Amino acid sequence: MNNFKYHQPKSLQDASSLMQQHNNNALLFAGGTDALGLIKNNIITPGNLVNLKLIKGLNEIKYTPGKEIKIGALVNLVDIAGHSVIREKFAVLAEAANNIASPQFRNVATIGGNLCQRPRCFYFRGDFHCIRKGGNLCYAAAGENKYHCIVGGDPCYIIHPSDSAVALLALDAKFSIYSDRKLKIVSAWDFFILPSIDPTKENILKPGEILESIIIPEPDNGSKSKYIKFMEREVFDFAVVSVAAVVKKSGGKIVKGRVAFGGVAPKPWQIDILNKSLAGLSTGEEGIAAFSKKFFNDATPLEKNAYKIPLVRNLLKRILIDLTV
Amino acid sequence: MPRKIVKTKYFFEEDYRETIAEVSTDKYKDWGNNDTLNVVGKAVSRIDGYDKVSGTAIYTFDVDLPGMTHARILGSAYPNAKIKKINTKKAKQLDGVLEILTFENAAKIPWFNNSTMLFDSHVRYEGDEVAAIVAESDSIAEEALKLIEVEYEQLSFVTSSQDALKVNSVKIHDNGNIVGGKPAEYDRGNIEEGFKEADYVLEDKFETQIAVHNSTEVHCSVVNWDGNKLKVWDSTQGVFAVRNVVSRSLGLPESDVTVITKYMGGGFGSKLETGKYTIIAALLARDIGKPVKITVNRKQMNLITGNRPDSIQTLKAGIKKDGTLTAMSLTSYSAVGAYPSWGGCSGPIKGIYKCSNLKTTEYSVMINAGRARAFRAPGHVQGTFALESFIDELAEKAGIDPLEFRLKNYSEVDPGSGSPYTTKLLREAYKKGSEAIGWYEKRKPTGTDTGYLKRGIGMATQIWGGSGGPPAYVTLKLNSDGSVTILGGSQDIGTGTYTILAQVVSEVLEIPIDRMQVILGNTSSVPFGPESGGSTTAPSLSPAARDAAEQMKSKIISGAAAVLGLPEDELVYKEASVYVKNDKSKSVSIPALMHSMHEQMFITNGARSANPEHYAINSFGAHFAEVEVNTETGKIKVLKIVAAHDIGRVLNQKTVENQFHGGIIQGIGFALMEERILDANTGKVLNTDLHTYKIPTIKDVPEIEIYVVSKGDNLLSNTGVKGMGEPAIIPTAGAIANAVYNAIGKRIKSLPMTPDKVLNALYG
Repeated sequence: MNNFKYHQPKSLQDASSLMQQHNNNALLFAGGTDALGLIKNNIITPGNLVNLKLIKGLNEIKYTPGKEIKIGALVNLVDIAGHSVIREKFAVLAEAANNIASPQFRNVATIGGNLCQRPRCFYFRGDFHCIRKGGNLCYAAAGENKYHCIVGGDPCYIIHPSDSAVALLALDAKFSIYSDRKLKIVSAWDFFILPSIDPTKENILKPGEILESIIIPEPDNGSKSKYIKFMEREVFDFAVVSVAAVVKKSGGKIVKGRVAFGGVAPKPWQIDILNKSLAGLSTGEEGIAAFSKKFFNDATPLEKNAYKIPLVRNLLKRILIDLTV
Repeated sequence: MPRKIVKTKYFFEEDYRETIAEVSTDKYKDWGNNDTLNVVGKAVSRIDGYDKVSGTAIYTFDVDLPGMTHARILGSAYPNAKIKKINTKKAKQLDGVLEILTFENAAKIPWFNNSTMLFDSHVRYEGDEVAAIVAESDSIAEEALKLIEVEYEQLSFVTSSQDALKVNSVKIHDNGNIVGGKPAEYDRGNIEEGFKEADYVLEDKFETQIAVHNSTEVHCSVVNWDGNKLKVWDSTQGVFAVRNVVSRSLGLPESDVTVITKYMGGGFGSKLETGKYTIIAALLARDIGKPVKITVNRKQMNLITGNRPDSIQTLKAGIKKDGTLTAMSLTSYSAVGAYPSWGGCSGPIKGIYKCSNLKTTEYSVMINAGRARAFRAPGHVQGTFALESFIDELAEKAGIDPLEFRLKNYSEVDPGSGSPYTTKLLREAYKKGSEAIGWYEKRKPTGTDTGYLKRGIGMATQIWGGSGGPPAYVTLKLNSDGSVTILGGSQDIGTGTYTILAQVVSEVLEIPIDRMQVILGNTSSVPFGPESGGSTTAPSLSPAARDAAEQMKSKIISGAAAVLGLPEDELVYKEASVYVKNDKSKSVSIPALMHSMHEQMFITNGARSANPEHYAINSFGAHFAEVEVNTETGKIKVLKIVAAHDIGRVLNQKTVENQFHGGIIQGIGFALMEERILDANTGKVLNTDLHTYKIPTIKDVPEIEIYVVSKGDNLLSNTGVKGMGEPAIIPTAGAIANAVYNAIGKRIKSLPMTPDKVLNALYG
């Protein structure tokens, strides 16, 4: 671990100017579960750490019944997983939060940190000057790529590691970003970026921009939602593939739905045509099974991850069956 | 104390060890069943349990001496390189750095069978020791490592046994990449004739991965010089082995080196060899005149402190229509890392089944990666997975139930030598295990379970040595108040050695365990005992403890006879007192006896007896697994493991169950998730932490049932104990693999059986 200067700003404005002042030599610090790992393993060596925990208001949850819920970026995962309204009306997010790492981590990790965490790729986390660290080679492309992406890769094949991001994408959440003394709103889909845009970043945040809160519109009455995280071991693992869905059905048909995927792409993934064609889908097992096979035909797996294609289709089938049958 | 010097042998890890040793020739009464005993066999809590649970137990990692300094090691960044230049100037200038060792200034101490040195200018794998720094604090030492400038000449490298065997492969050492220059070969009978006799001949290939021990306590030593005498606290499975390597490396008399291991947080074989780090710490401490603590970090543990070598095993067998084996062969290739080690896995195929025509050919191949070391039942874990998967395939070919097939080819004698076994209760283990899992009631025909969650049941057999043997000694000191100090050779590596020795002595002397202190793991105060490996500690030491206790009892009776003026045969020993047979009102207690004799202490020295000649001594057992395979995700969930074993006498029900649980969990890890991932393009290991090197969590642990089908093995020793630490892991992966096949009708022939492999088998 390198030595660094520890800053404790009291406002977003101060935090933002500190970050701008130190440009590429500073790191935002919330729960610290990822930040400390990155520093201890010498993945990054920031000279400055900017602690956000003294800024008031960032760790609050505000619910407006029938409209939306706003979750501050510094709310701990444990408080999301246990929040009664989130559990009832935004179940997919509570389930995703509850499946992250271990209780010790969830007690300190924040939603903002979970969304802005860096990827878990072996090469990014290891002693390799890969393309995501400013090098010019993706070592995974011709290396150990069992856990890597099957869509949206090139020139870097990471998967985005956040569970909560997948749930938020299914919920059509908006991200509020502090930028240049004001807040701007972007969609969950637009917040994350593909490596073809910039292989060294996972989201649109520029130096000095800080994720302030998440705003989630309340799903229609009668909607059900769910998160399935597939891991190689039962707990304390990142998803191999995950799927989040919010579905409303009526009679024997789905009337509205959104599905998002984790573990398949460098950003939380959605398929527009899938979401559009959910409306009207009959809720029988056979129909759902046939529907689920229609997607990911355009996937371009690497040498060791073709298994993710049947896996993601099966998880899509399973989540739709669980929510409707 | 009748003694003689004999030649005897016992199985230790991969091979038989022959020794000429002083042994006890005393014969003591057979203990019979455990239910006739008072202390031995009972579920006695560990005598060190409170210390461990409360945190007062001092492990090597906790040792903190006044003025202690801290050392860290710099490992090679490349898999094969020559160090052209090494500049330590900047590191040395960092405030708090005390000394730096490299190949340029360190003593030339040969290592790994003279294939390298403590510091070598040619580094042959990622992590190979380049330099060591001692500083006033651990963080300074870590910081200083980054300031060492090494100029490497990178060389080509090889990362698999198959590539290393190619004629144009990089040669890691001048004499080629095959350890010993040729494969290890064994044959009996006539393999060609055997295949000719067969109605069916089957061949299949199985692969196992490289697994890393990853014990909880990291490898570490603390060293302190007192003049010319050296004291070493080490996290080791063999204090005497470390003492001998340290004394040889530094040119010190063995008597000047004290090695201490009071508590150890796991080793599994990785701490069965002396670490370079221990010698490095001793050299640094001598240079700077201060105590040095040296720690291998988690990343380095995944690179430099050993692993279970991988294997590619081709098995071939001939069977008659009725399932009788006529011939078997095994050819295996194992990558053992950059320095000579052993990767054979033929133990199970040679030892389990009746088959007179058999041939094995085993290649241990060097590659540019961390060197293999013994890892809980070396060879047998890999070998059993392949053999027992293959046996199920043979049974299916013959149309016979897998368990019936095994009984059909059951060997009543050691199939290699024809010697009888001291005991072999494998049939009983099969019976108990199959009943407990519901083999005949619950197990469905393969691939017939419906739904997407498919259940299956499978089993696999275990063989191991574990006889233990001499030399092993236990000294007893009976104090004037009747309390007892037990000094045992060896060390307690977490298996319960402290407790079982006290139980054995307590059984004989009828003195409560809380009146005893057990001292282990200190080369200057305890008599010699073996390394804790090969499942030999309890079977070697417990008979020596009984010998010492029985001698003590005789000594007390003799003393009482003299004090009371009566012949010994008119006296009887009971609960730390000697009574007159015909007059129960007359007795003398131990304190009274000592007082009358003006004695302060009775001392006896017990020794292990020789192993019986002309017998094969093995432990046996079987695991039965029930699994559920999710055919949509490829995930294998183990629902239940039943373990039934012949391990001789149980000394302590609790510690035996502890070790079975640990072994089975480690077996599940090996079967389903543990794997060192080496990047073939760069020669670097990709998963060097406990997040990416996956071991089972408690949620991955199924219901576990343990059955011991044996009583004391009276032909073996006066306690009749066979070792069981390694048998606990041996058949787990094979049982799970066979259960998976039973569930889905697809055989996964490569470990670990991760979801991608299952999905590829189902959808590929």
